[in-house]
Amino acid sequence: MKNKIKVYRAIHDLTQEDLAKAIGVTRQTILAIEKGKYVPSLDLAFRVSRYFKVNIEEVFSYEDEVRTVDTD
Amino acid sequence: MKKNIFYLVIGFVALALLAIFWYSVEFFTPFLFMISFLGGIVLIYLAYRGVDDFIEDERSAKITEKASLRTFQVFWVCFCAFSIMAVMNLLYMPRFSREFWVDRRSPPVPLEIMSLKTIGYVQLGLLCLMIFLYVGFRFYYARKYGDWETDEE
Repeated sequence: MKNKIKVYRAIHDLTQEDLAKAIGVTRQTILAIEKGKYVPSLDLAFRVSRYFKVNIEEVFSYEDEVRTVDTD
Repeated sequence: MKKNIFYLVIGFVALALLAIFWYSVEFFTPFLFMISFLGGIVLIYLAYRGVDDFIEDERSAKITEKASLRTFQVFWVCFCAFSIMAVMNLLYMPRFSREFWVDRRSPPVPLEIMSLKTIGYVQLGLLCLMIFLYVGFRFYYARKYGDWETDEE
C-alpha cells in the first residue's frame, strides 16, 4: 500500500502533529503510515482523504507485491 | 490527569503490592494480598480512565492486541504443559524405571511426588514469564509498526 500523505501535507502546509490532531490519532501513527510501516484501516484512510477533501484513491493506492519480470 | 502522573500511580501501586505481598507471606494472610491485588488493578483502571492526554488510536490498539494474542498463545502452551504434568504427578501416575527399557518385566515405579510448594513456585514463575513475554512482544510489534521511526520533518 502506497500513500501520498506527505505530499498532501506539504500542499496544505501541515505538520504530522497537526494532521494527527485533526484526525484523532498519534503523530507516530501518521509517521508509520507515511513510511509504509503501518497500513491504516479503511475508516482511517477515509478520514485522511476527507480531511484533504480528495478521493481515497488519490491518497492511497494499492500496489501488487508480485512484480512481473521483463523477458526481453 | 497527565500521562506521567498515571505512570507514577502504577509505580506506587506496584510498590504497595510488593509490600503487602511481603506482609502476607510473613504473617500468612494470603487473602489480604488477593484483595489488595484486585484493589490495585481497580485503582490502576480508574487512574487510566482519568488520563486526559493519552491517545489510543488504532495502531496502538493493534500493537496491544497482537502482543496480547502472541503472549497468550505462548503462555497457555507452557502453562498447560506444566499444569498437566503437575496434575499427573499429584495423581501418582507411575513411570517406567530405567531397567524397564532393558528388561520389560520390571515393574513401573511411582513418580517422586512434586511438592505443592514447587508447583506453586513454577506457576508463579510462569506468570512472571507471561509479563516478560508481553513486554517482549510489545516491543517487537511497536518496532514493527514504526514506533521508533525517525522523523524526517
